[in-house]
Amino acid sequence: MANSFRKFKNSVLNSFPLILLYFLSISEIDTYFSSFFEILSFNLQIIIIYYWMLHEDTILGNGHIFLAGIINDVVVGLPLGSSAISYLVVSLVASYIKNVTVNFSLFTDWFTFLLAIFFSNLCFILLLNNFTNLLITYNEIFYNSFFYIFILSSFLGIFFNI
Amino acid sequence: MSTSRDDFGIAIRSALLQRGTRQKFSLFFLITLAAIIFFLDIKNFTIISVSKNIINDAIYRLVNVANLPVNLFSTAGKTTNEIFFTFQENKKLKEELSELRAKNFQVEFLSNQNKNLRKTLESDKDNSNEKTLAKVLLDKDSPYLKSIIINRGSNSGIAKGMPVIDGSYLVGKIVEVNYLSSRVLLLNDLNSRIPVTLGEEGAQAILTGKGGENPSLEYLPDQFIGQNDITVFTSGKDGIFVPGIPIGKTIIKDSKNFVKLFSQSSQLSFVTVQLLINSEEKF
Repeated sequence: MANSFRKFKNSVLNSFPLILLYFLSISEIDTYFSSFFEILSFNLQIIIIYYWMLHEDTILGNGHIFLAGIINDVVVGLPLGSSAISYLVVSLVASYIKNVTVNFSLFTDWFTFLLAIFFSNLCFILLLNNFTNLLITYNEIFYNSFFYIFILSSFLGIFFNI
Repeated sequence: MSTSRDDFGIAIRSALLQRGTRQKFSLFFLITLAAIIFFLDIKNFTIISVSKNIINDAIYRLVNVANLPVNLFSTAGKTTNEIFFTFQENKKLKEELSELRAKNFQVEFLSNQNKNLRKTLESDKDNSNEKTLAKVLLDKDSPYLKSIIINRGSNSGIAKGMPVIDGSYLVGKIVEVNYLSSRVLLLNDLNSRIPVTLGEEGAQAILTGKGGENPSLEYLPDQFIGQNDITVFTSGKDGIFVPGIPIGKTIIKDSKNFVKLFSQSSQLSFVTVQLLINSEEKF
């Protein structure tokens, strides 16, 4: 009984990032806090993807990341696939960093996350700018990227005990 | 040098093609699939459009259910707030009511005069259009697009371009129609452009969303001198919107004309859609 409860607890804990990723994609809980501070916005999904793909890639599957991206596109109203590509690029950078890095530290995570955001936003902007008529504000994307860095450090502090 | 390039190649190839213990698909496959879906979507392929409509309807309903607990907290907060301010609000409303009663006769007179003038001109559209009430399913704030989802779609006669109104005030227009739901592009979205009229002289302008809270007025006449608190209405010059729908009041910031909207997009629960004939426009 105790053993099965422990197994259940572990499976729930292991599924937590996945549930959180889907919940953030479909829920009205957004990470755009313009009502508190005009430029404060960050995309928590990207931080979740990056962190777990880098440290525990068995928890988040790429298929789930793809699906969460598609759901996010539907909810936000972007062309289908644009967020999915953006999320998968973050996953790709995280997998690459995982392949080439032996020891992780807060600094390497922080620095490499810059690369992930850069390539992810680059793909996003290139796709929307060149292939759709949608207008997007570059300032918003810049602020968004800027706040990621600070949020990630707190995130690492909580989950990575640094 | 060549060794480091080889290492990079191996690492990136491994990241793209290798599947982990619980990964069913490689990243390369999924990125390609996402790119194919993206290009099919922007090219409006029939299969993708139909599938997208079904997916949209399903996800919007799911989102509505998923948000029930979140909405419960937010509704509880609002209700508590309303109870606290009821007495104060009641007093204010009584004052407003007496003022409005006084104005009522004047409005009736002007309304009759307006109808007679319209008959004489025989050029304006009839304002007595059909309307449909819709519930806001989702108003996720995004740094990229300012839009809401409503629970009425093509089954209720909704088409692209129809104006969406909160009470008496314009909030946006329909930009995406599914069978059971639609997306409304809000006035403050960067992609929103609405022809408007303002002031006693009926100056024409285009209300342009800036992504922030207040959209701006562009293409105003050269001699136009901006003033605060001028009411902005739809002009109907696009042939889609009914003229005279109130939008907001002008505010001047850094000698630029902005509009403070009457309707707060974050406070929307129910809206009405004006079912206009031949409203569809190309986006």
